[in-house]
Amino acid sequence: MTPRKIPAPGASGAIMGMATVIAVELVGALFLRQFLLIEDWRLVIGLLLIFGAAMMVMERVPTVEARIEAAFARHGRLAILLGIVIVLGFPFALEGNTYALHLCVISMLYAVLALALNFQLGSANIPNFATGASYGIGAYASALLALNFGVSFWLALPAAAIVATIFGFLLGIPSMRTRDSYLALVTIAFGVVIHQLLNNLEFTGGPNGLVGIPVPELFGHSFGDPLVIFGHSLPAQANFYYLSALLVLISIIFAGRLHDSRVGLAWNALRTDELAARCQGINVTWYKVLAFAVDAFLAGFAGTIYAFYVGFISPDNFTFLVSVTIMTMVIAGGMDNILGVIVGAFLLTLLPEKLRAFSDYRILFFGVVVIAFLMIRPQGLFPQRLRRYGD
Amino acid sequence: MSELFFQQILNWITLGSVYALIALGFSLLFGVLNIIHFSHGDVSLLAPFLALTLISALGAAIGDLNSLPVFILALLVAIAITGVIGVLLDLVVIQRFRKAPAMMALVATVALGIVLRELIRHLFPNGSNPHAFPRLVDGDVVIAGLTVPLFSLMVIVVSILAVCALFYMLNRTRLGLHIKAVSQDRDAARLMAISPGRIFRATFFVASAIGAIGGLFFSSYAGMARFDFSVDVGLIGFSAAVVGGLGSMPGAIIGSLLIAGLDTFVQAVVPNGASYRLVFVFLLVIGVLVFRPAGLMGRTLVEKV
Repeated sequence: MTPRKIPAPGASGAIMGMATVIAVELVGALFLRQFLLIEDWRLVIGLLLIFGAAMMVMERVPTVEARIEAAFARHGRLAILLGIVIVLGFPFALEGNTYALHLCVISMLYAVLALALNFQLGSANIPNFATGASYGIGAYASALLALNFGVSFWLALPAAAIVATIFGFLLGIPSMRTRDSYLALVTIAFGVVIHQLLNNLEFTGGPNGLVGIPVPELFGHSFGDPLVIFGHSLPAQANFYYLSALLVLISIIFAGRLHDSRVGLAWNALRTDELAARCQGINVTWYKVLAFAVDAFLAGFAGTIYAFYVGFISPDNFTFLVSVTIMTMVIAGGMDNILGVIVGAFLLTLLPEKLRAFSDYRILFFGVVVIAFLMIRPQGLFPQRLRRYGD
Repeated sequence: MSELFFQQILNWITLGSVYALIALGFSLLFGVLNIIHFSHGDVSLLAPFLALTLISALGAAIGDLNSLPVFILALLVAIAITGVIGVLLDLVVIQRFRKAPAMMALVATVALGIVLRELIRHLFPNGSNPHAFPRLVDGDVVIAGLTVPLFSLMVIVVSILAVCALFYMLNRTRLGLHIKAVSQDRDAARLMAISPGRIFRATFFVASAIGAIGGLFFSSYAGMARFDFSVDVGLIGFSAAVVGGLGSMPGAIIGSLLIAGLDTFVQAVVPNGASYRLVFVFLLVIGVLVFRPAGLMGRTLVEKV
């Protein structure tokens, strides 16, 4: 990729740029809304084809992609403001459809998980098949705290994240000596051990899991009650919608800041050439362990929200397959690209749900789609960009 | 007590042989292709379902469901078909990932495994349910005062024969030489008029066929064929190959024996061991990799400045 020349902004250019930003965000939101609300599988396939066509255009005509990118780079503040407004207003556009809201919450939790894994897989190229396990540790830790000690959701949230981080460190330590396929196996083994322990230990409820996790409250407002804003009543899921949207926002800021910091640069150096990175004085071991810890920290948050949202967790929510799905989200969305990872998470969470018309065949279909994706666009939907300095 | 002890040893070696047949495929494919073919376990466990289909089809054709020749023929054909399926998967999917980053191929083959499992579930009649799989041979023989089930004896003997055949093929034949050449340097091999594509196909056939033997033995050992057996078996086979050192054939065998040994030991000694066996097995995997990062027989890949 060569650095692109951005034409000097004239008055008409600025308006065009703003219009581009507004149009792209609105079309994106509208697309997501339609995708969430339609029931007929033929329309689902149709929308997927439109999405595929849009991707194809981006692939074939790089100037389109470059224009959009430049517009977003120039009108960053507008893009962020509009994005926040869209996210805040989105539940109102769903016509009180609780299922669509539920899908949004789950998609956002997966977006957080995918962003978490992205620190490792995307930034540092460390294959980690244990994100699902960290997610599970977070969920179980918070649920056990709430059920056995009556800890409130708001205290369980940081506590569970800390527990997950400690396990992340524990996993990071044996992983330091291995790499590539061997490292992948260490993380797979860790995931299996955690899953098996959750499945067999007494205090985690065995295969039946934990039931009756209390609904969180905030200033006397129970998250189980409908949310009333300006006299407009939203279903109870909206509480968790805004909570997980906040978590996604925090994760994005977190990810962006880390990406731009010395740490992100060190991870990228690790990915490119570990030996050269070591020669530059980068403490390879520390940065690798750090990547594991950050991944587990965010995954622990997502796990806590999931546990309190659904109110019931069992080991089957946190299998090896969950980790593979998160991994696919990162790879299919585009490694080390925050937007790509989020799109990948939404797509791969919504796809199996929207394919319920195929009922039994949807797992099969899911597998086929994943393979097709990797074959057709191996660099992911939104490939990683060169770092930009000074413009 | 010694009788019981002997039975456990026998169990260990039987299970180890079954795992080894699957682990060898992982190791062989990695050695040649440099990618992990994660769906190898799923390919291997296609064989029992193919065999069941063939047994009923052939048996119905000659009107005798229990005839021994039909049985043996069905097993052999199932092994061959599994080998061909391995080659086809390479041609259709895995081939595309030759030049992609290793993680890409890994995730793609994980997805391929899901597809294969789901295909069994949907295409085989009542595929979601377990199907009884016959014990290949019944009865016991008494050797030096110890009772040995014929089945274990057969598994061990066939596995040893298969391993010997594989080693002979790799070390003493032209094909083996070509496989080694391609695994060492693909481009140089091409300059020596060896077609890497042909070698890849041959490797996929051999690995899948040996895996198929393992899959048939495993189903026979468990007494049934289930579409989701391949999750655990594939993972254990992969672990055995990695613990032994990817690309090393003796390593794959040692890794399998080690894992099967722990598996048998935990089930026999630890209370409630059957439900914790995977915990112990995978803790062993982590433990081995901490001290031998490239597996027991693998070359250490540490770069020194």
